[in-house]
Amino acid sequence: MNSQPSVSYIPPILPAARDQTAVQAASALGKLLSDMPEYQAFLKALKEVNNNAEVQQLSVKIREHNTALQWGRGDLLEHQAATETLQAELESLPSIRAYRQPEEAITRLFHAVDEVISQAAGVPFAANAKRSGCGCGG
Amino acid sequence: MLTEELQVTARTLGEALQASEPVQKYLKALAEFQADPEAADLEKRTLAMYEELIARQQRGEMLQRSEIDDFNTLKRQVYQHPRITEREAALTPVKRYFAEIADEINLPLGVEFSTLAQAFRA
Repeated sequence: MNSQPSVSYIPPILPAARDQTAVQAASALGKLLSDMPEYQAFLKALKEVNNNAEVQQLSVKIREHNTALQWGRGDLLEHQAATETLQAELESLPSIRAYRQPEEAITRLFHAVDEVISQAAGVPFAANAKRSGCGCGG
Repeated sequence: MLTEELQVTARTLGEALQASEPVQKYLKALAEFQADPEAADLEKRTLAMYEELIARQQRGEMLQRSEIDDFNTLKRQVYQHPRITEREAALTPVKRYFAEIADEINLPLGVEFSTLAQAFRA
């Protein structure tokens, strides 16, 4: 739910793109998608969620419990129970409830676009386009 | 659901990706893997065994040492099979290329297209 572009969104300064047709089509696709009403509604809801102090506080607490779970710190059952309670609390907030519908609409739209790309490419696109996030070039 | 313009642009992108060198090499390696019944069967058996062992473990069952050894043997065979290793090696440049192309989609959006596309639950 972080609207701030992270390092993974920043294209290479000297793109190694070998095929300008693909680069141009991808860029055109991004612009077309950004003009869609589904995207505009999603962006608005996302900004509201990101600017909501209550959402941020609950998100921080959930992350803390998840980190403890990942590293095996403290009582795992307690962390799990706390995460579930906090998640339920988060989902009950009006801004989160207002966010879920545009989120569903944007994921549906992007999924449909991905299906067209993947079918034409002969290889699933989105599933293979995610960076590993480790900065190791994977 | 998709506008004509979105469909045409998405298809143009997909066709350009298919014509690219990394995808052509991957599709060739994939076809060679699929044409090798031994490789396909080996991978299928390994995945089936993995899913079965994981399901039993999640139900709280204690797995036998011999079962884990059998699985590890199968897994080693998968990693060493030339058709499978060639296919996996050919997929790595595809992923790098697709990530670069996805960056071009992401730039005007400010969000990750791939992550959101995959988050959809039908």
